[in-house]
Amino acid sequence: MKPEADQILMFSGLKLAAEYAPQIPTQYGQGMAQVVAALMFMSAQEYDRAADIRASENVDMRALFKLLAPQIADADLRRDLEAAAASREESLRISSLNASNEHLRKILIRLHAHLDETGADTRPVWDVLKAMAARRTLTLPG
Amino acid sequence: MSDDNLIERLETYLSNVMGIPDLEVANLSRIPGGASRETYRFRARYNRSGAEIERGLILRRDQTTSLIETERATEFRAYRAFHALGLPVPEPIALEEGSEILDRPFFVMEEIENCQVGSILSPDPYGPLREKIGRQFFANLGRIARADVDEVGLGDLEGERDPAKCWLHEVDRWEKVIDEDEREPQPIARAALRWLRRNPPPPAPKISVVHGDYRTGNFLYDTDGNMRAILDWEMAHLGNPLEDLGWAIDPLWSHGDPSRPAGTIPREEALSIWQKESGIKLDTAALAWWEIFASLKGLAIWISAAREYADGRNTDPVNAFSGWYCLAFHNKILADRLGGA
Repeated sequence: MKPEADQILMFSGLKLAAEYAPQIPTQYGQGMAQVVAALMFMSAQEYDRAADIRASENVDMRALFKLLAPQIADADLRRDLEAAAASREESLRISSLNASNEHLRKILIRLHAHLDETGADTRPVWDVLKAMAARRTLTLPG
Repeated sequence: MSDDNLIERLETYLSNVMGIPDLEVANLSRIPGGASRETYRFRARYNRSGAEIERGLILRRDQTTSLIETERATEFRAYRAFHALGLPVPEPIALEEGSEILDRPFFVMEEIENCQVGSILSPDPYGPLREKIGRQFFANLGRIARADVDEVGLGDLEGERDPAKCWLHEVDRWEKVIDEDEREPQPIARAALRWLRRNPPPPAPKISVVHGDYRTGNFLYDTDGNMRAILDWEMAHLGNPLEDLGWAIDPLWSHGDPSRPAGTIPREEALSIWQKESGIKLDTAALAWWEIFASLKGLAIWISAAREYADGRNTDPVNAFSGWYCLAFHNKILADRLGGA
């Protein structure tokens, strides 16, 4: 579709911030319109990257689980790591990717806590967390 | 009861509590003022000793739902205490904790006029005034830290008075918020909580009133760069004064330049001013712990904001912004700090 949704959100946000918001008669209305415009800029960024972020995070977490599962003595955790590492996406819909992502994040938290408790090397987990945080960072128009 | 006759009800209330029968309320309009209270500006007009008086006042009324449950009485008492101490704080006028008058609890305070607030959306909110504002910003924070909690009448505020335990009290407080409000698993917040508990800070140098949200966006300044009002005391509590300092210098409020906390003066100058005004010798290792804590506390607040918005309880767009942009920001800060950038 041309224009794509991200372009529509970006241009509409710019119009709202620069042209429409200043015409709102109250300070409260103007302030809230500026926040809504910022949300539109953020949504424009997210439109193009949302599926990629979630799919990439899920790939990274599964790879981490596959790497570390053999080192985990806790049988329940090791089994869950192996099962999660072998899982696959059912669909590329955001709702489906989110469901996988949340399941994998729960296991990631258990794995990280276990490594913390046993004094094991947590750098591989932090590498995944840093990549996750970097992907989700948003940029606002200057 | 709708807000249609808000003006009349406010007039009746203020006439009674201020003892001014002919008080009139005019120009009532809502202004931005945070997600936990509705904020309105209005003019109060009355006659006193033959003189016509017009005064700008602010109404802060509870939302129907609130981001973080806060006590308006705490906020009101903090305004009163630090206004009396001579800090740039609006004069509180009246506190009403019942819902009979305006449907929800509220308080009224002086409006500090002809001022502006720095937005975190702005890359350079203070322009050439940033150094002058920054020096006042950190000096005033030091003065809050210096204040004796009992002498200012706030010794009974919520919080932990044992200097060795106040860090734990705060970690417990914000972990509870995350436990209650997270809608999706938060691996970085959970890792930060474990790190904070495994690496406790040294005891507090003293127990102070902690403002709780001392930052860009929560103070007013005028066109000459004078800091005129410290606002939003709703999360005030007793604790380690480094909690406020860590929050004030958090990168989220630095407008893209972490070397100039709050978007104002260089970090070393800011810390030096704070030390001089607070009378507290700064332990940099302790401050580093409180900086990690600040970002975790931020995550807890943003997780709450996201929950309010996503559940449809409070669809104020500020909650969406906080629960998305600010959450992503603090996740990045914590991952880089704890995981090694």
